Amino acid sequence: MRVVHYLNQFQAGVGGEDAASTPPQVHDELVGPSRLLARLLEPGGEQSGDAHEVVASISCGDDHAASDPGVMTEVLRLAREVGAEMIVAGPAFGSGRYGLACGRLVAGAAAEGMPAIAGMHPDNPGVDQAGGAVVVAAGASTREMRPSMERLAAAALKVAAGEPVTAEDGRVGRIPRRTTTVEQPAAVRAVDLALARLAGDRDATEIPAGLFDVVSPAGPVEDPAEATIALVTEGALVPAGNPDRLEAARATRWVHYPLDGVTALAAGDYESVHGGFSPAAANADPHRILPLDVARELEEQGRIGALHHEYLATAGNGTAVANARRFGVEWAARLHGSGVQAAILTAT
Amino acid sequence: MDTTTPATGDAPSSLLVHAVEQVVLGDRTAYRGGQLTVGVEQAHDALADPALSSVRVHATNPGDPVRIVKLLDVVEPRTKGPGRGGVFPGFLAPPRPDRPRQTHVLRGAAVMAAGALPRNQEGIVDMSGPAAEVSPYAATSNVVVEFARTDDASWEDVDVALRRGLLRLAVHLADAAAEADPDDVEEWAPPARPGPGDLPRVGVVTNLQTQGSFKDVYVYGRSFATSLPTLIDPFEVDDGAIVGGQFGHPGLRNSTYVHQNHPVVAELRRRHGHDLSFAGLVICPEPVDQHAKDHISAHAARLCIAAGFDAAVVTKEGGGNADADASLKMDRLEDAGIAAVGMFAEFAGPDGTGPPLVFPPRRATAMVSTGNYDERLQLPAMERTLGGDRVDIADADADAAMELPVATIHGSLNLLGGGRLRAQEEAA
Amino acid sequence: MSIAEQVGAPRIVPTRGIPYPAGDPELDPEEERAWRRRLLETALRAVSTPVKRPTIFDVEESAS
Repeated sequence: MRVVHYLNQFQAGVGGEDAASTPPQVHDELVGPSRLLARLLEPGGEQSGDAHEVVASISCGDDHAASDPGVMTEVLRLAREVGAEMIVAGPAFGSGRYGLACGRLVAGAAAEGMPAIAGMHPDNPGVDQAGGAVVVAAGASTREMRPSMERLAAAALKVAAGEPVTAEDGRVGRIPRRTTTVEQPAAVRAVDLALARLAGDRDATEIPAGLFDVVSPAGPVEDPAEATIALVTEGALVPAGNPDRLEAARATRWVHYPLDGVTALAAGDYESVHGGFSPAAANADPHRILPLDVARELEEQGRIGALHHEYLATAGNGTAVANARRFGVEWAARLHGSGVQAAILTAT
Repeated sequence: MDTTTPATGDAPSSLLVHAVEQVVLGDRTAYRGGQLTVGVEQAHDALADPALSSVRVHATNPGDPVRIVKLLDVVEPRTKGPGRGGVFPGFLAPPRPDRPRQTHVLRGAAVMAAGALPRNQEGIVDMSGPAAEVSPYAATSNVVVEFARTDDASWEDVDVALRRGLLRLAVHLADAAAEADPDDVEEWAPPARPGPGDLPRVGVVTNLQTQGSFKDVYVYGRSFATSLPTLIDPFEVDDGAIVGGQFGHPGLRNSTYVHQNHPVVAELRRRHGHDLSFAGLVICPEPVDQHAKDHISAHAARLCIAAGFDAAVVTKEGGGNADADASLKMDRLEDAGIAAVGMFAEFAGPDGTGPPLVFPPRRATAMVSTGNYDERLQLPAMERTLGGDRVDIADADADAAMELPVATIHGSLNLLGGGRLRAQEEAA
Repeated sequence: MSIAEQVGAPRIVPTRGIPYPAGDPELDPEEERAWRRRLLETALRAVSTPVKRPTIFDVEESAS
């Protein structure tokens, strides 16, 4: 198969955080770990007869890649242009923006029927974004490139051959849960399960116990008086009339609105469209959702360096966890790319 | 039937079931041979209220090319007989503890209101097609009430008016069957008193969403928001002691209808004396803040201990926030040595790969799935719509073909356990 | 354990109510704004503090 390898700006040698906004580019030659991947995909002579060739490295800056789903659609298009028959993305290790980009890319490829696989740390939010594509575990950092790439390549060979990739191969992420109609109503199954549990079966369950990922805390802000701070919220505070029609529940999007020159949020100018609580208090005083008045005060008094010029919002009402994690990474990409050091999230 | 002897708490109760196969509109309310005729004038009288400037009553039956949008509550017609009172205690009249233990039910019929009300989260019921297969309200012959608000009435007034009107209409319709011989009689013993016995004592803990205006559940006529967990005789609930006024996620609401026909209670009653002893029903509010959730959960667990539960099925109402109420109770029950089984809809996302629960239990592990919220359904166009003209979440006219997540179909995720949907891992 | 801790939010400032996370309608307007100020100051303290795991930063009720 003709394989295209996706990596971020660091791994491609384009630059560091300073190059996080670079757009997608197809490299003239294989760069960075693409060369290792190419060697690992060469047929060992034992099993597969297929010759796999890594035909191109495509890279993109992390902030740019994570900022807008359209970016990875463009990367996929570029990959097709150079003849991709399969996509290998990463390993993204623990980098959330890189992982999100990898997840989106392979999800897009899989949705079009192209074999695709990504590698990243199991806690990477990108794991949730891979849709129908396979994700295998990578280490936490580039120090573990060799073993991570070996695992990624081995699993890629299986994907190319159409073989299933399992937990033994390092597969991570949840296996999709599909809704079906069964014979017995839930109430009957619940009573059966209660009796089974009383009889000693303490493992039986239809829903596995959930595990949330561990979020690596960002380091502290050295001095807030020097920092740009952003206000963000999932209380769905939007300009009156909800001009961008933010959903009241199960949000699939987030919105942003300017705060340039705004020192207070007047009742009647803003409203909360969050469907999960009564908006009366918020509509009477929007600062109960977005504390702009006090933030401006702190800015004036030099307690913070600057208040960021916009706020980000979504509705945290029945939000699919995968979407919430994605919003977090996209917000981080947008704010980080704008020079913000800390964000205060008002949560409802 | 003898209704003169005062009832005791240990006496069995019976449901006199009159089957309804079809509902039609007509000049006078009547029930004959499985057909329920709704007298339009009489229906209007039952619904009359200063807050409603007009009402329109429609009849629709399973299989009709009809889509109902902006559904509010759904109620099963029940009565003790014309003029007898006693059902919907606290709503239509003060509760009467010594009321007769027999109740007439129009099984296969439902009355419902549909129309715009604040915070009424959008959803549909299709009487035919793929969506009909996942909604309990597509399997009943429905009397649908559309309404208009009087100019100077508040929406709260409208909410109260509709609630009372639907209950009065439900009684009025059931009265038409009161003289008919029932098609079936269901006799139910009350839950067994705590005490020694051979059979495991299994109860059910049902959480009611209590989040303020238009997102509240009423017990004996009052919001359950400030109440403590309560052991309530299921007979009271048969008679309509719990009425739903919670208009959040359509797939995650428990209407009055499903409380009247509580599926877990029904299953426990069915097996009482066979492989288990039905230990009781505990109802709890779902407060919004974390401290109150902890406090209510601890109290509920103490109540279950006092009632001698060996095991409990825990049910919820609402979205992710309500997962916490169920999970906290499950953990407290397990800590007290009571086996807990939680009933949850899953939030696994459109491709089914997200974490299923927002707030899973930490020590309890047994859970039953009622389906994935985000599973998508393709719905055909419909000839007729009731309750409104648009489905904003699909950005379409109400009669158009549309694709919607299963959670927007009313009653689909059936959080009291009456449905057959279940999410599970794809076979490899 | 609160939902915020459960999902792993590293820095958490508890507030008084879901419909008004940065306010308190029980207070009169001046007191409410002062409460909001204390919330934000606590938030600034939190972002300036190194943490390794979900950490709660309570608003310190000091004599004003």
